[in-house]
Amino acid sequence: MGLLELFRPKTAQRRVEARRAQLFDDDFQKKLESLAIVSRRVFAGRMRAERRSKKKGSGVEFADHRDYAPGDDFRSVDWNVYQRFGRLLVRLYEEEEDLSIYFIVDTSTSMGFGDGRKFDQARRLAAALAYVGLANLDRVTIVGATDAVVSRMPTTRGKGRIFKVFDFLSELEAGGTTDLGDAMKTFVAQHKRRGLAVLISDLYDPAGFERGINTLRFNKFEPFVLHVVDQNEAKPELKGDVRLYDCETGEEREVTVTDSLLEDMARAFSDYQKNIERFCTSRQVPYFAADIGIPFDELVLRVFRRGGFLR
Amino acid sequence: MGLAGLPLATLLSIFGAASALVVVFYILKLRRRAVPVPFSRIWDNVLRDKQATELFSKLRRVLSLLLQLALLALLVLALGDPKPKEDLREARHLVLLVDASASMKAVDVKPSRLFAAKAEAEKIVRGLGTSDRAIVVQMGSVPTPRSSMSGDQTELLQGVASVSASDTKADLESALSFGRDSLRGLPRGEIVVLGDGAYGDTSELSKRVSLEGAEPRFVPIGKSKNNLSINEFSVRRYPLDKSRYEVMLEVSNLTDTPADVELELSGDGMVVDVTRLKLGPSERLPRYYQDLAGASRTLTARLKSAPGSDELPVDDVAYALLPERRRARILLVTQGNTYLEAALLLDEYLDVTQVTPGTAVPEGRFDVGILDNVAPPLAENIGAALYLNPPADSSPVPIASTVEEFGFDTWDRKTPVLRFMSMGDIQVAKGRTFKPAAGDKVLGASDQGPILVSGARAGHRFVALGFDPRDSDLVLRIAWPLLVLNTINAFLEEDTGYVSSYRTGEIWRIAVPGSLATVNLQDPLGVKHAVPVSDGRAVFRGELAGFYKIFGGPDAALLGEFAANLSDLDESRIAPQQQLTLAGKKATAVSISQASLKSEVWIYLLLAVLLVSVLEWVTYHRRLTV
Repeated sequence: MGLLELFRPKTAQRRVEARRAQLFDDDFQKKLESLAIVSRRVFAGRMRAERRSKKKGSGVEFADHRDYAPGDDFRSVDWNVYQRFGRLLVRLYEEEEDLSIYFIVDTSTSMGFGDGRKFDQARRLAAALAYVGLANLDRVTIVGATDAVVSRMPTTRGKGRIFKVFDFLSELEAGGTTDLGDAMKTFVAQHKRRGLAVLISDLYDPAGFERGINTLRFNKFEPFVLHVVDQNEAKPELKGDVRLYDCETGEEREVTVTDSLLEDMARAFSDYQKNIERFCTSRQVPYFAADIGIPFDELVLRVFRRGGFLR
Repeated sequence: MGLAGLPLATLLSIFGAASALVVVFYILKLRRRAVPVPFSRIWDNVLRDKQATELFSKLRRVLSLLLQLALLALLVLALGDPKPKEDLREARHLVLLVDASASMKAVDVKPSRLFAAKAEAEKIVRGLGTSDRAIVVQMGSVPTPRSSMSGDQTELLQGVASVSASDTKADLESALSFGRDSLRGLPRGEIVVLGDGAYGDTSELSKRVSLEGAEPRFVPIGKSKNNLSINEFSVRRYPLDKSRYEVMLEVSNLTDTPADVELELSGDGMVVDVTRLKLGPSERLPRYYQDLAGASRTLTARLKSAPGSDELPVDDVAYALLPERRRARILLVTQGNTYLEAALLLDEYLDVTQVTPGTAVPEGRFDVGILDNVAPPLAENIGAALYLNPPADSSPVPIASTVEEFGFDTWDRKTPVLRFMSMGDIQVAKGRTFKPAAGDKVLGASDQGPILVSGARAGHRFVALGFDPRDSDLVLRIAWPLLVLNTINAFLEEDTGYVSSYRTGEIWRIAVPGSLATVNLQDPLGVKHAVPVSDGRAVFRGELAGFYKIFGGPDAALLGEFAANLSDLDESRIAPQQQLTLAGKKATAVSISQASLKSEVWIYLLLAVLLVSVLEWVTYHRRLTV
């Protein structure tokens, strides 16, 4: 417990505790501390941290030698090489820097559809992964996006800031239409430091889910796609003559729902999901289907680790 | 085809209003329920393949509306009750006289004529038009309605089923009168006789019965006239030897061919005599069995013949009951009367106690007291009394005058007291005439007044003779013991006028001992009937041949038995008639609608509604019409 927390008003503390309890408990939090988000690429960091960087510095991992120059620290001279070759060479170590991780949470109306379980799942995923990032001293940024970046939590690091994450996520509300292409354009324009961009969305984008992902790719971000899936949407409990309307766009369809139609719907839903997965796989974009039917801890601790998203 | 229900204009109004309602509901149904979905593009992928059938879907919706309108049209049309034009004519009113006489038990038509008649009646009932009405009447000794005048086939069929055959003759005249009265004031009346037509000569009916416009119809039943019958059967005990009896019966051959029959006589269930008889065509053969003994109560005569020669079994058996034999206690109050004592000695079943006037009446119940020249107040233990020359001061019947040299100028020839007696030549030297009280019955009288009177005083029946028999030549005649014994038997209800069997179909008046108001009569089938008792006699119209029993009193004791027989030669003549003239009109065949159900078009309309509904239900659930 930090010093500031001692002075935190008890009511506010309780509120934060309640919000954290909504997301995950203490045991789960301890498990998260042992995890780290895997980045396939190496990004330039700003501060010393636990990530490899392109810089050579004072890390512990040996990188190379160079000729001694006046002013270098004698402790870094490789005396063994001098003894063997008679040259003064200085040991170079890899500098360990922090990593920028961006969590882009889809806050469109479709995420809150029904009982809002998708949106809850997305926020819990964002919170858990953010904690993993914070615990590894990564720079964590969370944004809410619909057809634009609707809210943004400033970049932060250190797991002591997790409450700030909780507050931000708790205040997010689902609403608005989805346009990931436009939203990602805004996102990349606002965030010059490249890093991991974890897109947590149901990918119900009328303009096509590809645009948003491609925007991240083309702007040197390493996108991770966490596809929040609700299988109940594949088999809606409908029967008879109904007028369907899109909860975001309001587009209407008159349908007579029959058993065969529901079977077709389930098939189309599955095809849509496979289409996304196929797209991501073909472009080396890590893709994970976060089915809300799968228990949250199993999803984070097993599925993501097995898929290489966490280690 | 026309409408028997609501008129066309009303139907059109109903259809217009209801169809408007249907269309409104249909439009409301087309306003689909709005349901949000998270992403309609996925549905687009699904519905893309369905677009090609959209036009067909619209057509199916129209088809659904048309089906509903068709249902409505059928229902409204059913309200109109459409019928063929021939069914819209004025309603008929039928009286179905189902012959239930004994001859309908003939088995020449299997299983019986009555069964065939009921089957024909059912045909007529089922063939009634929807507005026709009918009444089912059982035609026996009296016409008995079995239903009301109704168009309800169920009630009429139940009425037909309840018709049961009796062992009586059919009273066609009463039945026709009943039918005529039932049809009075009703249009298109028809009286339908369903029977064998064996009602004797019906030509005289036109003089006694008028059908008042009703059309006579006849449905002939039966095909054979072969019958052998016992049409008379009687038995009596010998008055002077009641242990023996004689039987008279008559066997008739009602066929056109000679017949060999076996006549079996049984007493108390034991065969008493078996005789083989040869009967010529249409021969009536009386038979007497004299001086028979061995039976104490029941006698049954049974006729057996070759198969096919006798189609009516019911008249092949006759029943009779012998008068009950029991000892009667007689109290004789006299100073001495040789003639009286001699007369009482003739019946060995009499226990005579003789006392002189003025002595106390012995204990015990006496059936009859004979008071010779005395008339004391009758003791309670004496059931009835025979007064001979009662004194003027104490006579139960007031004395009118004293007369001399007289005789019986008139007498009641039917009274059991004077049965088998000729009283005309009796000479009396002196005596008295009576002045009968109200309720008394004069059994014999001279030209100067009543001299033999019967009646009842204080619950005691009596017979009073107005002279001393010794003052006349009566005591020298055979009439004297007969008078004494007949009187005693009349009091004991076992007089020589005892009816050994009653005739079915007639009103019976059966003597009942005691003063009961009702008794229970058990018929040969074991069914008990509560029968009122009037003037000491149970009054009942019996329709079944066989032995009857009478029960009554607080402990429902057996009070008596009697037998009943058809004994009607006319009813035994079972030759069926193919033509019948009723009340001067030749009865014609009844017209039966071949298919009354077909005329109930509304039933088919409702069936069509049901069929269309099922069709709609199936197609709806298979998504063919939505």
